[in-house]
Parts: sequence; structure tokens; C-alpha cells
Amino acid sequence: MEEIRYKKVLFNNEQILARVDELGKQISKDYAGKELVILGVLKGSLFFFTDLARAIDIPLQLDMIAIGNIPDMTKSTGIVRITKDVDINITGKHVIVVEDIIRTGLTTAYLLQTLEARKPSSIEVCTLLYNPERQLIDLPVKYYGFEVDRSWLIGYGMDSGEYGRNLPFIAELEH
Amino acid sequence: MSIITISRQMGSLGDEVAGALSSKLGWDLITRDLLMERFFPDIRPEQRTRLGESAKFYLSEYKDGKTFKDTLSESLLSMAKESSAVLLGFGSQLLFSGSENAIHVRIVASDDVRLSRVQKQFHLSETAASELLSSTDRKHKRFVSHVFGKDSTDVSLYHLVLNTSYMSVDECVAAILAAFREHELRVRITSETKNEGAIDHQTDRPVFKNASEAEFAKILDMYHIDWKYEPKTFPVEWDSEGNVTLAFSPDFYLTRFDTYLELTTMNQKYVTKKNRKLKKVKELYPGISIKIVYKKDFLELAERLKAFGSPDPGNEQEE
Repeated sequence: MEEIRYKKVLFNNEQILARVDELGKQISKDYAGKELVILGVLKGSLFFFTDLARAIDIPLQLDMIAIGNIPDMTKSTGIVRITKDVDINITGKHVIVVEDIIRTGLTTAYLLQTLEARKPSSIEVCTLLYNPERQLIDLPVKYYGFEVDRSWLIGYGMDSGEYGRNLPFIAELEH
Repeated sequence: MSIITISRQMGSLGDEVAGALSSKLGWDLITRDLLMERFFPDIRPEQRTRLGESAKFYLSEYKDGKTFKDTLSESLLSMAKESSAVLLGFGSQLLFSGSENAIHVRIVASDDVRLSRVQKQFHLSETAASELLSSTDRKHKRFVSHVFGKDSTDVSLYHLVLNTSYMSVDECVAAILAAFREHELRVRITSETKNEGAIDHQTDRPVFKNASEAEFAKILDMYHIDWKYEPKTFPVEWDSEGNVTLAFSPDFYLTRFDTYLELTTMNQKYVTKKNRKLKKVKELYPGISIKIVYKKDFLELAERLKAFGSPDPGNEQEE
């Protein structure tokens, strides 16, 4: 077991929940009367996703999606693939992809490409943490919780070597 | 709108390819019969017969001082402005020879294969089938040569020549669609900054300047993100005579995200210089999205690429 050493807490649990609540209210307002599906990206968005889902007070369907690195025998490098797909039908529905953090945006771009092929009515991104400066691809980030810089973060779903996801706050790691 | 022309040998299954292609794309299939109905509504039966028999007759007057050929060209060109279509035969590859929105395909097969297909199709003896093939080949060739002054068997008229001795109709359709989509993309990239004077070199052979670029291409592949390498150069400074003195060629273009990426693995001094250049590009070419991939991000992504295939892919944050 690894001891988690972090520099400082950036967002405590109260701050996070207050912001999540605001996002939930905004989404409820924007998607009223629409068929909404929210998709959480495993594992980082786990807690943000469950808190956000409960902060939205309109009918919705939810599902989770996971992507992983799978070695490709035909190439020297592997490729990114969906390892747990969406089980519900998203065609013709309004989809929000829920992420913990968006940095370069390549993973999210891959996800959106894949989901768009299933012809949802609309597809937007809601991320808890966001660094627009590092983003290489313009993604439809309609909602975000907080802007962050380049530092390494842990807690509230985010890990360091799989540890630290259960911390109720978000802290900056010593790196 | 877009045009795909299909020129074919008899017995090459070119009609089948054209039919399957048009239904796959949802475009009209324009055949000779349809042309006659649509563009020559008041043609007399004897004129129609003569058109079928004599290529030279296309150069005679149809009405209002216009020849059949002129009427055909004008009607097809104006149709192409309104809707996309697959055009089968009648020298359409030459009517649209200069058009960047058109690709020209020739469907062929070996003599043996064609012979056996024609024999089967028309229940003919080998000799009769062979005669039918050579007379039809001669007729096709004569039509294009009389009406357009070109040799329809000249492969340089076509983007793609497909041989159904070795490929099925489905394989041909898939090959044409793939070529068409790539071509359409290149035309789109070219046209986007046409008026602002960007230099297009998409038809050059891409050669990576350094190992980092090759590695970054692998990273994009890993995320299934389609890219083109250095498709364009954006001039940003000119001397008093109008010669380009400073230009910017972003390393990658992400086709689905309409974004150019410039990789930088250099130290901060050069990055600042690059940023200044980038600012100028943005001023001169508004509407173009260009982003810089900084050293730190590149290294993190490269690290992730290396980690691939290992049982523990590591921290999800290393995006």
C-alpha cells in the first residue's frame, strides 16, 4: 500500500458539492422536456457522475463507459478501445458525456467520435475539471466545474497508481 | 456537387458497379437512356437510332444551332451544380475532366473473363461473343475519339482503374468510395483557405522531419484520430515585391476536428517565437484553428504510448 502525499487541497468536499449542485440545476433547466442520457467515463468520473446525476431533477437515463489500452498484435503500439460499452440506446437522445478532467482532450475526442456514429440528437461534454489551455481539440465542453492548471491532481475519483480515488476532496499531488 | 463517372468495358460488370455505387451513395445513376429522356425530350426516333449508331451524329445540330454534344454537355454541367450523381458512360469522364469535384473510374476485366461473362449473359457461342466484344470496344472507343478527340482506354484520364477479373463488384464499390472520400476531404482542405493564399501541398509525399513527429502520428493513431501531415503552408510575411519571407506549415491537420496542430519539443525561447508566428497566422487566416502541442504534453502522451500493451495502463490523468 502506498502512502498518499499531496501538497494542498484545491477543492474541499463542500466546494465540490456546491458546484456540482449548480451544474445539476443548470442541466435540469437546459434539458427540461428532452430525453436525456448521461454517460459517466470510468473510473475517474465515478463520484462526480453519481453526485451530478442526483443533482439533476429531470427524468434521465444513465450509463457508464470505460476505455482502455489494448495491445494490437498487428502494430508495434496498441490502440484505445472501449472496454465497457454503453448498454442503453442513445440514438435520437440528448447525450452528456461526464468526465473528471479534460486536458489534451484526445481520449474524449475518441469517445465522441465513437458515440456520434450512433446518431444521438445532441452530444455535449460536462467535465468537473478543465484546462482549456492544454486542449488540442475543440470539444463541445458545455459544462465544467473548475478550471485547473497543469498540476497533478488526486481525489474525488482521480488516482495515483489506483490509490486516492476515495478521497472526498481534490488535492494537488507532489510530482 | 460531386460527380463520379464510370467508364467501362463490355463484360466488365461496370454497370453493376455503377448501380451499386449509386444506391450506396443515394445519388442518381445517369445512364444513356435516362439522358435521352431527360435532356432530349423532343428527339425523333430516327435521331435516337442514329445517335446509337454514329458517334459523328453527336456533332450535328439538335436544335437552336446547338449540337447534340453541346446540349449534352450543358445539361450535364448544370445538373451537376444541383445534385450529385454517378454518370455511366457517354464520355462523361471528359465532360468533367477539369472538375475538382469529380472522380473518374474505369472498370476493366481481362479478355477471357469478359468473353465468358458475355457468352453466359447473351447465350452466345465463343466466336459470336468475341465478335460482340470487339465491335462494342471499337464503338466505345470511336464515340469518345470522335466526340471528344480522346482515347477512352488511356488510363491517364482516370483517377482509378479497377479490374473485375480480380475484384468483386463490392470490392470495387468500396475502393471507389474510399478514394472518393479522401479526394473530397483533400478538396475541402484546399478550398477552405483558397482565397487567403495558403499554399497547398497535399499531393506531396509526406516525410516526417523528425522522430517526434513520427511518434505523435502514432499517438493520434492510438486514439483513432484521423490526421494529414503538413497539408498546407500559411505565408505570414512578404517583402515589398510580394515574395514570401515567413511562412508557417503546421505539422498535422486533424480532419474530423478541423484543427491544425504544431508540435514543439524545443526550449521556451523558440516556443515564444513560434507563438508569435502562430498569432500572425490567426490574424491573417481567421477561421483556421491552430494549436500548439507543448513539450510537456507531448512527453506525457508519448509516455502513455509507451505504456500501451502493459497490463496496467496507469493513471487515467495521463491523457
